[in-house]
Amino acid sequence: MLRLSTIKKAFSGVEVLHDISFSMERGCVTALVGENGAGKSTLMKILCGVYTDYNGEIFIDDEKIFFKNPWEAKHAGISIIHQELSCIPDLTVAENIFLGNEPLRKFGLVNFSRLRGDARTILKEFDFPYSPNTIVRNLSVGWQQIVEIAHALSSDAGIFILDEPTSALAESEIKILFKKIRLLKEKGKIIIFISHRLEEIYEIADEIAVMRDGRFIGKYSATEITRSELIGKMVGSKFYETKLAKSVACNEMALQVEDLNVFDNSTTYLSGITFTLMNGEILGLAGLLGSGKSELLKFLFGELKAQHTGKIMLGENIYVPKSASRSLTKKIFYLPKDRKTEGIFAGLDIIKNSSISVLSNYASGGYIHKTREAKAVANKSLELNLKFKSLYQNIQTLSGGNQQKVLIGRGLLNNPKLLLLDEPTRGIDIGAKEGIYNLINGLSSKGMSFIISSSDIPELLRICDRILVLFNGVPAALLNAQETDTNKILHYAFNEGQL
Amino acid sequence: MSKLNKLRLSEREWVRPVLGVFIIFVLCVIVSPANSKGSLIFLKFENLTNILRQVSENGIISVGMTFVIIAGGIDLSVGSILALSATITAFGLMDWQLGFFLTLLIALAISSAAGFLNGAITSWGKIQSFIVTLAMMTAARGFALFISNNNSRDIGFGPGAAPDIFKIFTTSYFGIPFPVFIFITVSIVFLIILKMTQLGRYVYAIGSNEEAAILAGLKVKRIRTYTFIIAGFFSGLAGIIHTGQLLQGNPNDGVGFELDAIAAVVIGGTSLNGGKGTLEGTFAGVLIIGLLSNILGLHGIQKDFQLMLKGAIIVGAVFIQGTGLQINFLHFFRRQVK
Repeated sequence: MLRLSTIKKAFSGVEVLHDISFSMERGCVTALVGENGAGKSTLMKILCGVYTDYNGEIFIDDEKIFFKNPWEAKHAGISIIHQELSCIPDLTVAENIFLGNEPLRKFGLVNFSRLRGDARTILKEFDFPYSPNTIVRNLSVGWQQIVEIAHALSSDAGIFILDEPTSALAESEIKILFKKIRLLKEKGKIIIFISHRLEEIYEIADEIAVMRDGRFIGKYSATEITRSELIGKMVGSKFYETKLAKSVACNEMALQVEDLNVFDNSTTYLSGITFTLMNGEILGLAGLLGSGKSELLKFLFGELKAQHTGKIMLGENIYVPKSASRSLTKKIFYLPKDRKTEGIFAGLDIIKNSSISVLSNYASGGYIHKTREAKAVANKSLELNLKFKSLYQNIQTLSGGNQQKVLIGRGLLNNPKLLLLDEPTRGIDIGAKEGIYNLINGLSSKGMSFIISSSDIPELLRICDRILVLFNGVPAALLNAQETDTNKILHYAFNEGQL
Repeated sequence: MSKLNKLRLSEREWVRPVLGVFIIFVLCVIVSPANSKGSLIFLKFENLTNILRQVSENGIISVGMTFVIIAGGIDLSVGSILALSATITAFGLMDWQLGFFLTLLIALAISSAAGFLNGAITSWGKIQSFIVTLAMMTAARGFALFISNNNSRDIGFGPGAAPDIFKIFTTSYFGIPFPVFIFITVSIVFLIILKMTQLGRYVYAIGSNEEAAILAGLKVKRIRTYTFIIAGFFSGLAGIIHTGQLLQGNPNDGVGFELDAIAAVVIGGTSLNGGKGTLEGTFAGVLIIGLLSNILGLHGIQKDFQLMLKGAIIVGAVFIQGTGLQINFLHFFRRQVK
């Protein structure tokens, strides 16, 4: 049993965790839920030895423990999968899996053949399609996450902490992960599962612990608490999950793609893609990892450097994607999948992050009129309901959801007509997700067209008009969102033929 | 609008290095030796302007270096480009009789072209700037030796030699040496460019996150190349001043200047990871190095000891910037800027 007793933690005098006390049983999956900023990650960092200056006590099986550093925690049997990817990109898959735990020969040399062999066995359980010698950098984000999960789960720990392990995974990988988790559960391990996706929580968790604003709200049996009750506990006030009123699609064509094939010398990214997008319409892209949904968006924005055949019409003109800067002049906006590495300018403030694509609008002869710039950004930020102290604050000090709003604001300042959003709600909390859904809905009713790729199928069902399901770069189905459901979409995503 | 609150003074990046200069200056005053009349030698006007004159070459190079480093690159070739420019200047004036303006134009053009090559090969050849400029460091030195046939060239004045106007670099106006004016002007103009223009903003952006900059529609390769051209141009300008002050163009000069410039930039709080830093900081870094060399020189401390101390200062300055040690110290200065 893992027991936390009156845990308090402060950052430079500001208390962020207030008197957290609860316990977790062996052989039981405890989901830890709460909005971003509720203190989940801070609590987990205390558990695995990252933060040592806290008040309160932690007991494992009634023995009081204190870790001076993450190394001690690891060796005491606490294994964690971090929210942000933390693989070492230039090592191979096998080396990453056994990082810090390498099988050794005499004289401390690494036994590479055993390393690879063991890695192969572990990876087989994950249906991992590549060799254990693959360099991790060359894997997609989803597969990197799998490697990290394999790394964490392969250890002989007693306590497993999974901090949003599924944010980059497709449904099929999530199934495999859950199978592994159930196995660990049977072995009597303590498992803490953090996720923003309620479907997953109800599928895997036995108990659900709720945190809000640094406080422990309560622990509930997953079979007893309903979803709307749970959301209510998390956000503090009543909150209903309803289908958004759909925007009215008008008759003007925004984008028309006919028999698009995208390829380069070695790879075929997409083939036979055909769809139309009206002004004000929201098209969802569904599919497993490697289905080509991200590639389609990146290609349309001009940043997937590959050859193509087929016809693309943007409005009434033929459109050939070439580069980001050219696409922006054509009023296309692209929101990248990985906020941290492709989106934000770390260290720069909100204003500079927002205005970067449209600086010319506020400059004459290269000289930036800062008041004009600040006013435009301020108006847009208020319109987007951005939560911030000052527009001059570093973007890194914002929560994930608010960073995402800044990035969307960056696009909106350019008055885009077509918005390509890749996983717009990845890793952000439920309240902020709602904000983004409402935002997308509002913008689409003003006539902006969206293509949204997401691995969260209920999310697509909620906000999209139509959903294009891809499998291996080939369209598997084009469905009307109101006439379909998660099961049907999964059916097509796994390419199991016509229904 | 309250949301437009500016940062507190203590949160501004340039405050620490500028405060650093102030502290070092005060220290220099305290430990300054006095002359026979009892006045402090350090505080003498001639001494202070002399410090500025001594740092002006490094200061000008550091301006370009700041642009390159904020954009996420590094330029090791500045010392060699300085030597090349110095050599061209001396030979242009003396041997080739090109006249003042044409000589300077050619020196600056060739230096900028070397910078362009650095930038273009880094950007389009996708080679790390460390390697590219290391190669340029060797090649530019070689070119300087080739032009000069491995000789230095002394500047003389008069018919058949250099025009008198070239004496401007050893002339003082209002007691201030001409190179100091160039240094100050360059610093102010490029401070404005870095802070107030699109180019400056883009330099920060590509240094902070290149991938995001591409997706935000910036012409990353072109902007990076501009930063290297700026660095090359200023190395050339410093080379002209170098020749003007020493009245000699030597292809073997400028060795290790790249490290002095990088030291100044880093002491000024600019991150070698890119995306972060200021020219005010670099200016402060240049002054800190100059002040320390000066006060040590006034005490007759030998070069060997000076170098050891300089090493300690570089690490110390960066350590203080990295830890937030002086946050409490800055408490006194906290106030809201309206």
